[in-house]
Amino acid sequence: MSITSFAFAGFAALLAVVYRVLPQRVRWWALLAASVIFYAAGGPAAAAYMAVTAVTTYFAALLLQRENDRRAAMDGEQRRSSKRSHDRRRHLVTGAACAVNFGMLFAIKYWDFVSESLAFLRLPALGLVVPMGISFYIFQSIGYVADVSRGKTAAERSFPRYLLFVCFFPQMVQGPIDRFEHLAPQLFAGRRPDTDEVRDGIQLMMWGYFKKLVIASRAGTVVGAVYANAGAYPGCASVFAVLMYTIELYCDFSGGIDIVRGTAGLFGINMAENFRRPIFSLSLAEFWRRWHMTLGGWMRDYVFYPLSLSKPFAALGRFSRKHLSGKLGRILPTSLATFIVYFIIGIWHGANLTFLAYGLYNGAIITSSILLAPFYTRVKKALKVNESGGLYRAFCIVRTSLVVFVGRYLTRAPWLKMSLVMLKRSVFDLRLRELPGVVTGLGMSFFDLALVAAGCAVVLAAEYIEERGVGIRAYLAKRGAFVQWLAIAVPLAVILIFGVISAGSGAGEFIYGRI
Amino acid sequence: MDELIGILQSVCPGVDFETEKDLVEDGILTSLDIVMIVSELMSAYDVQIDVDDLVPENFASAETICELVNRAREK
Repeated sequence: MSITSFAFAGFAALLAVVYRVLPQRVRWWALLAASVIFYAAGGPAAAAYMAVTAVTTYFAALLLQRENDRRAAMDGEQRRSSKRSHDRRRHLVTGAACAVNFGMLFAIKYWDFVSESLAFLRLPALGLVVPMGISFYIFQSIGYVADVSRGKTAAERSFPRYLLFVCFFPQMVQGPIDRFEHLAPQLFAGRRPDTDEVRDGIQLMMWGYFKKLVIASRAGTVVGAVYANAGAYPGCASVFAVLMYTIELYCDFSGGIDIVRGTAGLFGINMAENFRRPIFSLSLAEFWRRWHMTLGGWMRDYVFYPLSLSKPFAALGRFSRKHLSGKLGRILPTSLATFIVYFIIGIWHGANLTFLAYGLYNGAIITSSILLAPFYTRVKKALKVNESGGLYRAFCIVRTSLVVFVGRYLTRAPWLKMSLVMLKRSVFDLRLRELPGVVTGLGMSFFDLALVAAGCAVVLAAEYIEERGVGIRAYLAKRGAFVQWLAIAVPLAVILIFGVISAGSGAGEFIYGRI
Repeated sequence: MDELIGILQSVCPGVDFETEKDLVEDGILTSLDIVMIVSELMSAYDVQIDVDDLVPENFASAETICELVNRAREK
């Protein structure tokens, strides 16, 4: 069931009504039943993968909790002397949970890519279908296991309650990757949302549907056509297609997350924020702190920190401090850990050389910016750059947007070679005068183009206002009921006219839903 | 404390460690800064800081970082 379908809207509305009328203590059962039905509709294989993750991480967390409780009962001296064996047992259980779940993810998502790439090894292809949301719920569940291991979260004793945390239906499409301590108490509380929360949830859903159905699905219509036959088009077509893809991707992913968070709002549940206006990022590193924030946070807490403080990296740190002079010697291990994290983020997005290249691209730029920071500081000082000035900030935003834009060449093409050919043509064979003919030839009408441009202007304006510290929904909440419901009715009319009756392509699918 | 602030400022030159009280929540310190600070502290004071200690509360201000170092010394 696509979250852009009328069936989903009906499903969510019916569940919201049932949720309100049920007694508080059984409301979470309604969410669990709905989530199981929602996910089981994806087929028995998808349900089986989900069951493996839920069962293994549930028992791993219980074992870790028992280990932590045992240690907590010890006196100070015992605790100090048993630290090493305690850590070993914790790492063993956490490692086993990771091995099972990441092994399963590898088999489903990456095995065929490996067997194809290493054809000389004659490894058999598995041909497994990647089920909806598997990367998201596995990461969320492993994050929970790691938190229990660190004593940050207490293990959940009830399996049905834990299952709800793993498979809560709105997050099944494309995240966000939430934390147990943030999401679980809200799921189990069964709190009845007040009218304001329901209205806010509907407004957020409308905003998401607007971005997805009116902008993303329309911008995406030309992208596939250019990528299907990139060699036949001049460079301007590549630039136009990648620009449309960049718009499509942002409105598709952030719009989908708005729908998901708005749906959760119908049950009084505030899911983790996943976007914080990435268009206003001053650097690529900041872009990744504002784009897909829950993945970035996951990578920070469960990969970057442990890797940076691991024994091999500590040894590398000692070596680099001893043998390399100045700042380079101090930051080399951190830079290497940063590079590895962005490399992993790249391949998390998909099993393809294009994503490997995307990870390397991001890792190389961010790592070089760390290593070259002292040089940049000297240049800015020599040029007397005012770093807090509007002009410099605008320059940084444009520079970051360009870097992100170039990166987008890598993520959409089916083959890396095609990405590079398109990039080359965009620079050396632009033929800008042919652009109007190219756009018309791709089947994008002036009306559609104008609608995408107008939609982007609305999104940009709204994000600019919020970036200035004005909360639009908080502002609307202070107005009268008429204005508040108008803020739902007008977007609804726009969505129905320009997103449903006159829809673009691929309205039912999400790009990140395939990850 | 002066020595600690000197170390912190050598890692993050533009940050006012003497007055800022919410370095992480206010977005002044990034995860990268935190790891570089921790590496520097472990080297300077010969202490072991665990990954479990890398939580925003421990890096909110120079005082909380100082407490973190003191706890690591006691381990």
